[in-house]
Amino acid sequence: MTDSWIKVADEGAVADGGLLAVYPCGLGLLLVKAGGTVYAVANRCAHMACPLEAGACDGFVITCPCHDWRFDVRTGAFVEAPEISIPTYPVRVAGGEVFVEL
Amino acid sequence: MAHEARSAALRELFAPLVGALGYKFTPDQELADFLLEQEAVLEETKGAPYCPCQVRTHRREHDMTIVCPCIPYHRAHFDAMRRCWCGLFVHRDVTDPGDLPQIAASELGIEG
Amino acid sequence: MNDPVFVYALSTCPWCRKAKQYFEENDVVFEAVDVDLLADDESDRLADEAFTLSGSRAYPVVKIGAEVIVGYAPERYAQLLGIAT
Ligand code: SF4
Ligand code: FES
Repeated sequence: MTDSWIKVADEGAVADGGLLAVYPCGLGLLLVKAGGTVYAVANRCAHMACPLEAGACDGFVITCPCHDWRFDVRTGAFVEAPEISIPTYPVRVAGGEVFVEL
Repeated sequence: MAHEARSAALRELFAPLVGALGYKFTPDQELADFLLEQEAVLEETKGAPYCPCQVRTHRREHDMTIVCPCIPYHRAHFDAMRRCWCGLFVHRDVTDPGDLPQIAASELGIEG
Repeated sequence: MNDPVFVYALSTCPWCRKAKQYFEENDVVFEAVDVDLLADDESDRLADEAFTLSGSRAYPVVKIGAEVIVGYAPERYAQLLGIAT
């Protein structure tokens, strides 16, 4: 793995359907485990920048706790209008650890 | 304006969102200032920058669809009028918002 | 005396103000209520009443006689009230 992959968590720290806020290099990211896969998205809503970590996850969709905007964690797309999205980051799980590419 | 700073902040937050949706702030500056101030007051008193021109029902599923910018939840209706209901936003190619009337969704055969 | 006119309005809505202003300027007798300024229960009751009439949560909702108009539509108001434009 190259230097741009940063360890952000132990795999066991994210339960399926769960959310975990991590801060690699001071960047606010959110790990989401859905369908057995870990995804990483910006922990910042596209609407008014609320942290998404207090939101709810249902399948591949997270709902912002502030005004219920919904995002697909696989693409970052706002479900109601995919022209709007939150950034997503590549994730690798190796040796029981979660790495994110910044 | 009492809520000038927050109005300006809302403007900054909303501009890229509505831009991605093909809209822009109305060139009617007076209308925009008035509406943004109402939203800043609603945010302060009711907890979110709700639409100044749509009624809250106190049911979350509904009320969250009228938080500004509500365009994604009313797209067919607003696209047909080339403006949002309040007129805070107009289609990107609109130069004279005065030409754009409010038309009820039902009159356009659209689910409100 | 014109047909009874009732305006369901919001205090925050510029188009509601314009509707009321239109009726004032044209000497139309009308009643209006700012639904958002009522206590929650009463506000919900009026909002549901307006919704039943109009199918709309977008304001103003204007009732002229038996007709219901959603939005600021001075030509429609004039037509229904027989005001020359
Ligand atoms: S109608 Fe316009 S001003 Fe009102 S919430 Fe929707 S986008 Fe905002
Ligand atoms: S800040 Fe996330 S929905 Fe408004």
